Formats: sequence, structure tokens, C-alpha cells
Amino acid sequence: MIRDMIRPGNLLRLAVFGALLAFLLAPDRFAGLLAPLTSNGAPPIYHQSSLIDLTLSHLFTVAVSTLAAAVVAIGLAIFVTRPAGAEFLALSRAVVNIGQTFPPVAVLALSVPAMGFGEAPTRMALFLYGLLPIFENTLVGLSTLPPAVMETASAMGMTGRQRLLKVELPLAMPLILEGLRLSAVIGLATATIGSTVAAKGLGEVIVAGLLSGNLAFIVQGGVITGVLAVLLSDGFQAVARYAAKKGGARPQTGA
Amino acid sequence: MTTLADAGSDGSTLPRIDRLGVVIAILIAGSLALPFVTFRPTRIAAGTGLRLFDALPAVVAMAVAAGLVAALVTAVASHRPVFRLALGALALAALALGAGAAGAFLTPADNPYARIAPASGFWVSLFAGAMLVTDAMVRLKLGPVGRLVALTITAALIAALFASGAWSHLSLIAEYRSRADVFWREAGAHLMLAAGSLAAALVVGLPLGVLAYQVRAVRDPLINVLNIIQTIPSMALFGMLIAPLGWIAANVPGAHAVGIRGIGMAPAFLALFLYSLLPMVANTVVGLNGVSRAVVDAARGMGLTERQRLFQVEMPLALPVILTGIRIVLVQNIGLATVAALIGGGGFGVFLFQGLGQTATDLILLGALPPVALAFAAAVGLDAVVELSGKGAA
Amino acid sequence: MIELSHLTKVYGGIAVVNDVNMTIEAGTLTVIVGTSGSGKSTLLRMVNRLIEPTKGSVFIEGRDVSMLPAYELRRSIGYAIQNHGLFPHWTVARNIATVPMLLGWDRKKVDARVEELMELFQLDHEQFAGRYPHELSGGQQQRVGVARAMAAKPALLLMDEPFGALDPIIRAKAQADLKAIQRRTGTTILLVTHDMAEAVHLGDRIAVMDAGHLKQYAPAADILARPADAFVDDLIGTVDRPFHYLTLGTVGSAVEPGEADGAPLNADASLYEGLGALLWSGRKTAPVVDAAGAPLGRVSLDTIADRAARPQ
Repeated sequence: MIRDMIRPGNLLRLAVFGALLAFLLAPDRFAGLLAPLTSNGAPPIYHQSSLIDLTLSHLFTVAVSTLAAAVVAIGLAIFVTRPAGAEFLALSRAVVNIGQTFPPVAVLALSVPAMGFGEAPTRMALFLYGLLPIFENTLVGLSTLPPAVMETASAMGMTGRQRLLKVELPLAMPLILEGLRLSAVIGLATATIGSTVAAKGLGEVIVAGLLSGNLAFIVQGGVITGVLAVLLSDGFQAVARYAAKKGGARPQTGA
Repeated sequence: MTTLADAGSDGSTLPRIDRLGVVIAILIAGSLALPFVTFRPTRIAAGTGLRLFDALPAVVAMAVAAGLVAALVTAVASHRPVFRLALGALALAALALGAGAAGAFLTPADNPYARIAPASGFWVSLFAGAMLVTDAMVRLKLGPVGRLVALTITAALIAALFASGAWSHLSLIAEYRSRADVFWREAGAHLMLAAGSLAAALVVGLPLGVLAYQVRAVRDPLINVLNIIQTIPSMALFGMLIAPLGWIAANVPGAHAVGIRGIGMAPAFLALFLYSLLPMVANTVVGLNGVSRAVVDAARGMGLTERQRLFQVEMPLALPVILTGIRIVLVQNIGLATVAALIGGGGFGVFLFQGLGQTATDLILLGALPPVALAFAAAVGLDAVVELSGKGAA
Repeated sequence: MIELSHLTKVYGGIAVVNDVNMTIEAGTLTVIVGTSGSGKSTLLRMVNRLIEPTKGSVFIEGRDVSMLPAYELRRSIGYAIQNHGLFPHWTVARNIATVPMLLGWDRKKVDARVEELMELFQLDHEQFAGRYPHELSGGQQQRVGVARAMAAKPALLLMDEPFGALDPIIRAKAQADLKAIQRRTGTTILLVTHDMAEAVHLGDRIAVMDAGHLKQYAPAADILARPADAFVDDLIGTVDRPFHYLTLGTVGSAVEPGEADGAPLNADASLYEGLGALLWSGRKTAPVVDAAGAPLGRVSLDTIADRAARPQ
């Protein structure tokens, strides 16, 4: 266990996370580093809002929408893979395929006329777009289980619910987690653009930099969001690896 | 307790109601109670919603409603996909023509600034009609050629509606008319960004993919790095590229002259190129890896050189997967190019973000709908190509 | 006792199983044999209602199986298949414990049963209980699959090509083990296979299926001696028939008084094995001994040859 934790990859993760935290908690200490990017005495560190607040509300937006999307998407995927929902299966596949061609930024922009400015359209867009990867991955996970395993689960006398909870969902878990990862990563990116519709988040820093021509703002906003996204994605992958290992290491690769 | 195994058994052939049809019918019926169009005295004034029968002359409204109700009934009662497809298409046509007619009917002769835009009722029934059509297409199991034909017909019909002037009184078209020149310039920029970066990624990504396939030691580190790049949000990557490109523009002689700037198309192009590399490289590797060992062994056994094997056997067999990579890249780039406007890269995003800035819904639509349509068309078109290319290799 | 009565399954207008009537005695091992598409697996699956019959019924101990909820019925019937269907995310012990846990046995009883079964199937508890299915060999997976099917002491065990994925040497051992375990536990077994040799070797009675029809249902010797029609005849194979027949008798049953040279044969070896030993050692006769090694007499090539002839 301890040996696992001090592998080089994990040390790197820890170091990156530590650096991010240090920057967010005491950004002014890094002012010297960013100063060369500014001109005409512009401030090197964004101070209109605290960076840590922006980061937390950014993550909160992503978490809330991804969670809501997960509940709905997994529920729907379970429904269409039961006999009762089977007639919706083909159509829902087609709708997801079409839906995923929609650019997330367009979904965000289109929810503004419907919902006004602020957090609401961002959360709505994140939720709507977040449904797709989770639904698709859960669907693939639930519909590609080994037939022999499914048959014996029934033959052992599991009820439909027991089979779903004890066999199907655990076996589909690595793929479901991959869907969650995709949703969260796309959500994080879309939430950044959400700052253009007045959602509170890290995009604000980049937008401020773009508007005032302050490279230091652009770079700090970009680096914070970039690092957050990479850490988040990496974290999901670690959980998925663990789940796959616990799940009898059935090798499963995401779509 | 029924299980999936049971469900597969001989289903009863009793005539039963189509449950999806019921959902569609409820949507259509509900949409009739919602406003069909919004009327605004000026471009950004508050609007009043008008229902179908208030927005159109009674006869026309009757015709549109009849089309919708016919689709509603078909959705519930008919199981024949061709019939459902036809009625779904009829409903969509009724909506398209009805909205255009409402524009012409409601625009006052003395107020050229008045704006008529489709409202929630229109969008809900459009969604329901699209569901009906999609479902019918799924049930028809259209082949790739059939889908390409359907796509072409749809595109041609929409183009014809534009050209005919049937929609000329709708606010979206008014918005377009007032900036037609800029629209086509930005459309060009959008395509240049999306397709140009794809071309660049193809030139670089394919050889990289082959290399990663042949040299194991390269594969994992390369894919990992590209994975990380792919994970970085577009705005962040655009932002992070501004600094180095700005530095190059200022310090490398000639760089500025060839169009490299900190802001503008260069960082956007570079970012899209970097995003494109992962699907290109990964799909090339997966495609080549997927070629059956037996085939590769047979090729080797018959004395093909490594190069002959690659070009005559492995690449052709990997083609469908590589094409899928191109499909992913193109659809993704068409979407991401929209964000490029934020750093002055141009494209449809210019209208989208202007519209957001001015809270002008029509302008937002003008910026958002073209990339949606382009991405959709690219996906349908390339999916068909992928399927066709797979036929020979399967 | 299991009774199949007018059992019929129709898919798309075609009767995959067509009006099958069959009675299976408790405590016997019955083999259903047929080519692929003969309906043998469909027939088996109608017993535990993985497939619902179009017509007809299945009675177990006089009770119509369609009267019980399917899941309850299935918990009382063991089921093992070719690809074992072990749950990949559960350990060997958890897999074996599936049905007892579904039935709500208490923890101690479940653990004891798992240990008992692992011993019965020669899987070292300490070594294997915590392993995952993918960490086992094909033969071990198959044994876990059968152990799991027998975990809740079902009176009836259904097996669909249980040895199909095993290589020949492991298969022979697995067949012998199954036969021994069946004798010991008295479980009624209904086993499906496409392999006539396996059917003759294992089955107390054999049911031959073709195109949905039950062609013949009789003890193995009867099937070999008096195939009901050309199809059954074909399935047995004209060349192999005498040899199949010899597997049914033991050397002990052909002993005659007298002495012979060379290595002795065991009385409970099959005549088929005896024939092989004689041919290979170039002898006309061989001594026979019982399990304890005491001489019983001898067996001759001629006697064995007589026993291979079609009974009149």
C-alpha cells in the first residue's frame, strides 16, 4: 500500500496538486513569476475575486451538474436495457449519437435564451451535455456483459433487481466511471466558457485577461483550469482502475 | 418476473399502442398550447408569445395544425416506419413553412424593425417531429448510402427554403441579412480552422500513429501526453498558447509576417491541431493493432517487406478505424472552433459571443446553429463513409 | 421424478422443440444428445424456465414448474454451462456461495458449505477461495462452475455442454469426477451434449434429439444395439459403434476361469480398455484381478470380440 503511494507517477500527482494548492491559497507569492507577462504596470495576479473561491464555485458547478446528469443518465440507461424499456433502446442510441455532435459551447449558448444569464444556463448546459457520455457508457457497459454470466445469474435464481445490483452494475462500473470522467472533463471546460454568460468560475480570469490584454491573467486562468482538468481526469481514471481490479479485472476499454 | 431471456421469446402479436408514439403525441399536443412565435416590436425589445392560431391566418393555421395532428395520430397508431417517416417529414415541413408564413403575416408594413422568431411551441413540436423521423429512420435501418441521400435531400430542402424567401421575415434571417458579408467571411474562417487543423493533424498524426504502433516504447508516453492535452479545457489551452506564440511573433524574425500572433487564428489553429492529434494517433494505433495476427503473419510468410505489409495490408484494413478518428476530429473541431472567437480567432463564435454580449437571441442562434448543423452533417457523412469503407475490409 | 409433458417451443413459426414427452427418474444421470440446432439446449432451458414453453409443461415431483415464481424455481435447480458463467467480480468462494446467499442461509452455514464443496471438487480452500475466476485454469473454472451449481444441494442439476471447453485429458477426468460425485450425492442430473461418446460414457439413459423431436429415449445399451432410426444410427457412427458398446461392460463381466501371462487387468476396467490393453501388448489373453489384487481368472480377445457384436 505504502509502496504504491510513492511510485513516481503518484509523487508527480502529489507535487502538481501541492503546487496548485499553494498557488490558489497564496497567489501573491507567485506574482514575481507572472510579472514578466504584464505590461504598463498591470497587476500580475487576478484580484477581482479570490482565486480559491472561483475554483471552488467552478468545481461545485461541475459537481452538481455531473451528479444530476449521472443520476438521470444511469437511470435511463438501466430503463432502456430492461425488457420494459427495450422499445426505446434503438432510438435512445440514435439520439445520443446525434446529441454528441452538438458542440458543448452551442448547447451553453442556446440555453441562455431559454434560461437567462448566470449559473442556471451553465448548469443546464453542463447537465444536458453531461448526460450523453454517461448514458452511452452505461448503455455499452450494461449491454455488452458476457452472455454466459447473464444467463447463469438468472439461472441461479436472481430476481431482475438482484441481477442488476449484484452483477450488471458492478461489471459495468469501469465503463460508467469512464462516462463520468468524460462528463466531468467536458463539464469543466464548458463551465470555463460559462464565464462569458456570467457564471462564477475560472473562465472569469481568462476573460478578464482577454478583455484587458493582460497575459498574466490569461496564463494563470489557463494553467489553473488545465491542471484541475488533468487532475480530475486522472483521479477518475485511478478510481476506474481500482474498480476494474476489484471487478475481477475484466479488461474494459472505454469508447 | 420477466428477464431479458424471457423478453426474447415469441412476443405476442396483439395490436398494441406505440409507447414512443405516445410520448411524441403528448409533446405535439402540448406544443399547440404553447406560443408558436414571439413578436417583438424591435430587435431587443421584450416579446409577446402568439399561439398558432393567433400567429397565422386561420386557413394556414388549420393546415399546419392538420399536419401536426396527422403526425400525432401516425405516431400512436401506425407501426409502419415508412408511414411514420413520411408523416414526421410532413410535420417538419408544416412547421418550417408555418413559421415562415407567420413571419410574413405578422410583420407590420410600417415597422421594418419588428422581429418574429419561432417560440417554444415551435421548438417543442420540431423536437417531437425530429424524434419521429429519427425513430423511423432507425427502424428502417437505412444503409450508409440511404443516409447520405437523406442528408443531401434535407440540406437541399433547407437551402431551397432560404433561397425561396419563405423565411425572409423571420428574425434569424433578418439578423443574417444585416451581416451577410461578415457571415460568410466567418464561415470561411470557421471551416479553415476546423478543416485546416484536421489536415495538419492528418499529416502529422498518421505517421506518429504508425510510429507508435511499430515502436512500443513510444506508444504509451505519446498517448499519455496527447491524453493530457485533450483533457485541458479549450479556453485554457487557447490562453496558454497566447503567451508562447506572442513571444515567437515578437522575437523570431519572419514569424509575424507569416501570420503568427499571440492572439487570433494562430493559437486557435495550434490548439485545434493539438486536440486533433489524440484521436488521430490513438485510432491509427488501435486500427493497426486490430488487424488480425493471422493476416499479418500470412503477409510476412508470403514475403512482403515491412513497407509492403504496412501499405498493402495493415493500413487498408485499419482504414475504417482511422476514418473514425477523422470523424471524431472533424466533429470536435467544428465545435471547438466556435470558442476560437474568444481569442480573436474568428468563426461562427464571433456571432455567438456577440449575441451573448448583447443578449440578442437571434444573434446567438446565428452563431450557434451553423456549427451544430455542420457538425451534424459531418458526423452523418463521415459515419456513412466509415461504414462503406468497412464493407470491403470486413 | 421429472416429467416433460407435450413440451413445445415455437420460434417464428418453427417448432424448435416439438411435443417432447419424457420421464426422468430421480437420482439418475440422463444425457440429452443431438446435433446443434436439434433443440436439446432449448429443452433443457425450459426445465428451469430460462425459456418459457409455447405449449406443454414440466413437472418436478408432480408440481408444475410454471406455478412457482421463476427465480424461486431456479434457486432449487442447479445450472452449469460450457462457458461456466462465473461472476468475474466475485471470488471463487463468493461465486460458490451465490445461491445459498440468495436463499438467505446464515453466514456460518454458507462458509461450511463452500469449504465442503471445494474439497469435493478438489480445490484447495486456502489457496483458491480468495481468487478471482480469471486467475484459474479452464479446468478449475469448470469445477467451480459445477460446485456453484450444486451449492444449495439442489435435487436437480441441469448441465449444458459442461465439458465443452475442456481439452480431452481434463475432460475425461472431469467426466469421471462428475459420475463419482453424482453417485455419492444422488443428485438427479440432466446433461446436454453433442458428443455421443460422452453420452454413452455418462448417461444412465440417453435421449436423442433431432430437429426438435425426441427420436429415442432409452438406456445407452439399447440406443447402441437398437437405434430407432437412421438418424440415431448416424449419430452413433457405424465404425465406432462396437467400441462405444464395449465401454458399457466391465472386464469383470467377461472373466473366464484359467490363467494367462503378462500384466493383469482390473476387473472394473471397461471392456474397451481391456481390448486396448490386449491389442497393444499383442496377447490373446490376460489375467484379471479384483480391486485388492486377488486373481479372478482371465479374459480373452475372443470373449471381448463376442461382447462387441450386435446383440440379437
